[in-house]
Amino acid sequence: MSGGIARGRLAEERKAWRKNHPHGFVARPETLPDGTVNLMVWNCTIPGKQGTDWEGGHFPLTLLFSEDYPSKPPKCKFPQGFFHPNVYPSGTVCLSILNEDSGWRPAITVKQILIGIQDLLDQPNPADPAQTDGYHLFIQDPPEYKKRVRQQAKQYPPLL
Amino acid sequence: MDEAEDDLEPLFDYSRVQPQGIMCLDDDDELDSSPIPTVADRKRTADQTDKKKEKDCKVVDVVQVNQKKDEDEEDWLPPPPRKIPNSGSGFIEDKTLQELRLQKQELESFAQSAEVVLREVLESAKRNMHHGEKTVVVLDAEQPSKPQVERPKIVISIQDRKGKKQYKIYMDDKFERLFKMYAEKSKLNMEGLVFSFDGEKISPQATPKNLGMEDGDMIEVNAKAH
Repeated sequence: MSGGIARGRLAEERKAWRKNHPHGFVARPETLPDGTVNLMVWNCTIPGKQGTDWEGGHFPLTLLFSEDYPSKPPKCKFPQGFFHPNVYPSGTVCLSILNEDSGWRPAITVKQILIGIQDLLDQPNPADPAQTDGYHLFIQDPPEYKKRVRQQAKQYPPLL
Repeated sequence: MDEAEDDLEPLFDYSRVQPQGIMCLDDDDELDSSPIPTVADRKRTADQTDKKKEKDCKVVDVVQVNQKKDEDEEDWLPPPPRKIPNSGSGFIEDKTLQELRLQKQELESFAQSAEVVLREVLESAKRNMHHGEKTVVVLDAEQPSKPQVERPKIVISIQDRKGKKQYKIYMDDKFERLFKMYAEKSKLNMEGLVFSFDGEKISPQATPKNLGMEDGDMIEVNAKAH
């Protein structure tokens, strides 16, 4: 039955998203090869904020919802090896609002998750590092960090 | 008491014919009061009415139980007829539902065929307009004018960096028209704009219908990247 709750909520989230969402963002449940929609996995795009080193990048993010959603948050994953101090080598995003034991609340919407992650891109949290590469450069070599971020933004141009 | 039992027996025979439990009790009470007034009156005069009623009821119950045990088959036989009419009515309902569905399908197919006819008529009308043959077309065109009114419309909003505006368009209308309208209003060149839905570019030849769009859906517009 919890699966029914998760799917019901996700159907609502999708409905709301279709009607309105922040500009440049994409969030849609994956379509399986047979044409059916899987509400438990969403393929998203987060645009880098304008006026930051992330500008111009359209970063692919996958939201993996469990049957326990919205009691538990979705797992949010960038591509493996994504460069950011708070992204694990696997691509999993480390963010307080996505942590079941700290900031997650069932009322947090998909829109809020995506905006929260967009904010995180330009405002890493050095108190909670998830990868050595991004963390060390951010702390020790800001110019190199900046360069790497801009490089990465070019790696993810808009799909259109 | 013997008399009462003797009198009661035929009543139970009657109850076998109509095996509904509640009916039996009612019948017994009525028949008790009518054919055996003397017995009842005597008992009432002799003892308190409540006790007698209770006794009578108890006797009745016992006898009924015994008869049921003896004649399980007879008791169990009657229920099926009850079910048959019930299930029969169920079938009738199903049939009516089926008929309604069939009618709905017919109407839908009729509406579709009407649309097709309308298109054909409009096309032929255009052709005929050039040739000056109007008379036949006008007659035909009058009938399918109703479906044209029912052509479904949806509201779609277009979002740019500044905000979003809503547009009402036909479900089967090509996006080309909407895009041109937007470009004219925002004084931009349509060639330099990219319209997208769910992160995918919308072809000007596509329609809301074939993209599976719903009322209230939002599409985004961006300047083409160079």
